[in-house]
Amino acid sequence: MPAAPSPLFHLLLVLALWFGLGWATDSQAQELPTFEVVAKEGKLFPARLEVPTGTRVKLIVKNEGKRPIEFENLAMRVEKVLAPGGVSFVVLPKLKPGEYEFIDEFHMDTGKLLVIAK
Amino acid sequence: MWNALIVVWRESLEAMLVIGVLLAWSARQPDPAPLKRGLWGGVAAGVALAGVLGYAAYAAQSEFAGQALEQFQLGMVLVAAALILHMVLWMHAHGRVMKRELERQVERAAASTGALLGVAAIAALAVAREGAETVIFLYGLGMEGEGAAMQLFGGAAAGFAIAVATAWAMARGAKFLNLRTLFRVSEFLLLLIATSLLVAGVDRMIGMDWLPALADPLWDASGILSDAGGAGRFLADFVGYRARPAATLVIAVAAFWAYALWRMAQIDRAGRRAAA
Repeated sequence: MPAAPSPLFHLLLVLALWFGLGWATDSQAQELPTFEVVAKEGKLFPARLEVPTGTRVKLIVKNEGKRPIEFENLAMRVEKVLAPGGVSFVVLPKLKPGEYEFIDEFHMDTGKLLVIAK
Repeated sequence: MWNALIVVWRESLEAMLVIGVLLAWSARQPDPAPLKRGLWGGVAAGVALAGVLGYAAYAAQSEFAGQALEQFQLGMVLVAAALILHMVLWMHAHGRVMKRELERQVERAAASTGALLGVAAIAALAVAREGAETVIFLYGLGMEGEGAAMQLFGGAAAGFAIAVATAWAMARGAKFLNLRTLFRVSEFLLLLIATSLLVAGVDRMIGMDWLPALADPLWDASGILSDAGGAGRFLADFVGYRARPAATLVIAVAAFWAYALWRMAQIDRAGRRAAA
């Protein structure tokens, strides 16, 4: 027999803590440098985006096209599936100067966004 | 067409691997038949939930609704990870008791109902998670028009068939490793799957700015094994491998495994004491 406190209980406690902290830090995201990316007709606008280095950056992704998109950069573990009309955001880590490519995985040949950190 | 094939192949293969490990694990339990029924029931429920989630993604037209949906999906992966850990620990303790006291039918039935629900829930969450994206993708492309839709569903069907073939080939391959070994490692494999879910959840929370990333990345192994393609991508999806993990992620995974191993050792010690 497992000992009295169930592991599930422990994990739920940890979850509650995480979510609690999540709500507490939720407002901070508003103050980060913020950029907007719009997906339309299989393309991402703008195609090039300059962002500052040394700070986290918030990207707001809007899908204004007729098809769903999957906004993705595997190295940064960003994977967002958005239905038409969907809006979401992602906070990127502090970037070193350089170029980072995001793609719309559902439109791999046309949907590309180059984020340039400098 | 190729996109449809690749998306469907990747997503369904991931779900099939989880189902495969759950099947291997169920077969090892004292009373596998109801567990397997629970598993397939869970798969069916997962397909339905994937449909609902896909629909919800189309219905979520405001930023607020999108957020709520994302939080729900986050909750889904974390609950699935917790459930797997709970199941593994619970059966680690109960398997022993159940084998010893097979005559006590009532207790046995109660124990298998719990395990059955657990297996069903895990299968449902795994299928719903992988399936929801597929539903969104296919539905969106399906609205394009007749000709495109036909091609699309051809691609999707081909992707699914290839996933079945891949899963079957893997199962055959696994059989050459002795079955008993496979069963013994199924607990470990389940914990690995739970790790991948936990990692996906933590990544998502860092991306939502709910958790600080601390040092990000803590190390960079992308030169050795990149997680963006090939074997690295497979490991990333299935066991939560990350070439450039944030410190928070490493801490979460370490805490998860420390907790799991500590509890299993505790159960084993208690078992030995009871046997002595």
